[in-house]
Amino acid sequence: MNRREFLKVTGAAGATLAASGAQAEPPKKDDTEFVGVLVDTTRCIGCRSCESACSQQHGLPVPDIENDGALEAKRNTSERQRTVVNRYETDEGPVFVKKQCMHCWQPACAAACLTNAMYKTRSGPVIWRQGKCMGCRYCMISCPFDIPKFEYDRWNPRIEKCDLCAERIAQGKKPACVAACPTDALMFGMKRDLIEVARVRVYNHPKRYVRKIYGEHEVGGTGWLYLSAVPFEQLGFPTHLGTTPYPEFTRDFLYGVPVVLFGLPALLLGLNLLAERKKQEA
Amino acid sequence: MDSTAAVSGGHLGRELRGFGRFLLRELKPRGKLITPFNVISLPIIVLGIAILIVRFVRGLGSVTNLSQEVPWGLWIGFDVVTGVALAGGAYVITFVVYVMRLEKYRPIVRVTILNGLLAYVFYAGALVFDLGRPWNIINPIIGNSFGYNSVLFLVAWHFLLYMIAEFVEFSPVVAEWLGWKRVRRLLRSLTLGAVIFGITLSTLHQSGLGALFLMAKAKIHPLWYTEFIPILFFVSSIAAGLSMIIIEGTISHRVFKDQIDPRRHGTFEELVFGLAKGAAISLFVYYFFKALIFIHEQHWLLLGDAWGVWYLIEVVGFVLTPCVLFAYAVRNRRLGVVRVAALLTVTGIVLNRLNISIIAFNWRSETHYYPSWMEIVVTLMVVFAEIWVFRWVVNRMPVLRPSAHAGQET
Amino acid sequence: METYHYVNIFETKGLEYLLLICFLVLFVLLIRYLERPKPEESSENRASRVTRRHPC
Repeated sequence: MNRREFLKVTGAAGATLAASGAQAEPPKKDDTEFVGVLVDTTRCIGCRSCESACSQQHGLPVPDIENDGALEAKRNTSERQRTVVNRYETDEGPVFVKKQCMHCWQPACAAACLTNAMYKTRSGPVIWRQGKCMGCRYCMISCPFDIPKFEYDRWNPRIEKCDLCAERIAQGKKPACVAACPTDALMFGMKRDLIEVARVRVYNHPKRYVRKIYGEHEVGGTGWLYLSAVPFEQLGFPTHLGTTPYPEFTRDFLYGVPVVLFGLPALLLGLNLLAERKKQEA
Repeated sequence: MDSTAAVSGGHLGRELRGFGRFLLRELKPRGKLITPFNVISLPIIVLGIAILIVRFVRGLGSVTNLSQEVPWGLWIGFDVVTGVALAGGAYVITFVVYVMRLEKYRPIVRVTILNGLLAYVFYAGALVFDLGRPWNIINPIIGNSFGYNSVLFLVAWHFLLYMIAEFVEFSPVVAEWLGWKRVRRLLRSLTLGAVIFGITLSTLHQSGLGALFLMAKAKIHPLWYTEFIPILFFVSSIAAGLSMIIIEGTISHRVFKDQIDPRRHGTFEELVFGLAKGAAISLFVYYFFKALIFIHEQHWLLLGDAWGVWYLIEVVGFVLTPCVLFAYAVRNRRLGVVRVAALLTVTGIVLNRLNISIIAFNWRSETHYYPSWMEIVVTLMVVFAEIWVFRWVVNRMPVLRPSAHAGQET
Repeated sequence: METYHYVNIFETKGLEYLLLICFLVLFVLLIRYLERPKPEESSENRASRVTRRHPC
């Protein structure tokens, strides 16, 4: 294990200790489990305190959540805003949905990144490390949720996306949005526990919720989980992404590379020797 | 100037100064300065450089129409993805001549390798303009960050190694030009190794360019997305490369006809028909690959709208048609038909690459990307600059004219 | 839900094998077609003589 690995492991171990309270001994390297956030859209009132807290936490322009009327139109995250809340008119009335990076279990962006700037930390958050990024935007091509946003108007552009407040988590705090939510629509914790909470809620209130936790299996599972009163298609969620983790789509190709690198030179040399032999006989 | 001259202080100094004067002489332009090509290309090159300065000062958004929905535009989709496919002639020809020892094609090996080398240097090099933070491009190279998990990591490394292999393949020509006989012999002995390495690398990065899009499954129109994109890219690069050799060869023979032995014109025709045969076969195989995918994914269900029509235009008009034309032209020895077929093939490859990377990418989005005039100018700048260097090399080094060592292996 | 309805992932395999046979037959025909060019003089063929069979 080299120095970098050691630092990562101890950092993650420290974060897990802090996040989960008292533990008898430091967790072994493989024991770290992911954290996540459960979003219960039946509880969200669309106050957008999460947007405000997120922007303040990360030094981005803070939206005027009282007056800017942003809920009138559907918005996307941007290079100035890591999360947005959108309002959807449904049969159950207006439903508010918070949108941000899903922190996939096996993120496409991290698999795509050739410099490891996009990085899935041991405790769950997928972060962007600016010292490594060369701005190729391959992460943007690969993300099934179209989340990473690029600063096209700067000479030294950043990639902006939610990082689950990894710094706050390391200090034992909750992400800024979760801490700011007044209605407990956002719940932060170990993903394993959140799944249980979500299932209990759905089973105990079958008329209130659609029988599905979005993010449980999508693209292999995501860190952000959603509950809803209406089918997820009506809330702008992509529902045809499948359950295969996205890095698996390139796995077969990448596994084939050494095979070609071993086999093809030998084959070519063999062909060449035969061709030379034939020339000599002619 | 033999590099084996004794090295003593004063002698070395005289050598270097002599070499310097030689280089300065070679840098002076030959031929007319006022030609239609020069008059058009020079202002565009200058304008392109100005645009690039703006790009580096004010960010990519100031000169391109790239967006959050379409992060890769003309510079990646055309310069890199299409340009590299069109440079595929080099690995095909080196396979034919150096591996399979078909001496018949030796006359075009040097110019094809030169074209391949320049294409990679300029077009793959042009991607540096598209990077948001190009100074960090050394990160995946020096080991600061090896993203093994990434297809782009593989493609980037392969580009680098392939340019080196191509340069080794071309270096005997440079050594001849400089008169360095011993160096030339050494380099010549490296050729087969460089060729085998180059073909292996090409196989992987031609298919790798396709593999880049495998994770965009949800965003590329289903008529163009398939898990077999890497294989399709590889097979079509063979047809693209052969067609480009035919086109570039035809142009070079007109432009540089003072260098080519008139008796060689007839041999060149023979070569063209041979290349056309290869193009017909590779297009045939490519077409059936596409048919297989068509059946497997039941694409007949998707043909009902404009996208379906566009797909059929690409496959029937620009894959099946040139395949048939090539075959007909070879059988009936019609050189003009070969050229038409080559143009159709190249257009088809351009269409296919642009479809996957730009046109059918994020096809559900309301906003559609089209390149800004500044992106077009910079792309043209890259193409013209490459032609300038090509012309400089061909006018000075034994690329088209027979080498002084004709008869020996080169 | 996806796993509760009948799905045959090999639905088109029969057609694919048919395509394969067509491909092999047509491929052989294509090679034969290409390997026997008619010995006509092309409009631009001046000096060189054309051999009927050349090893390519």
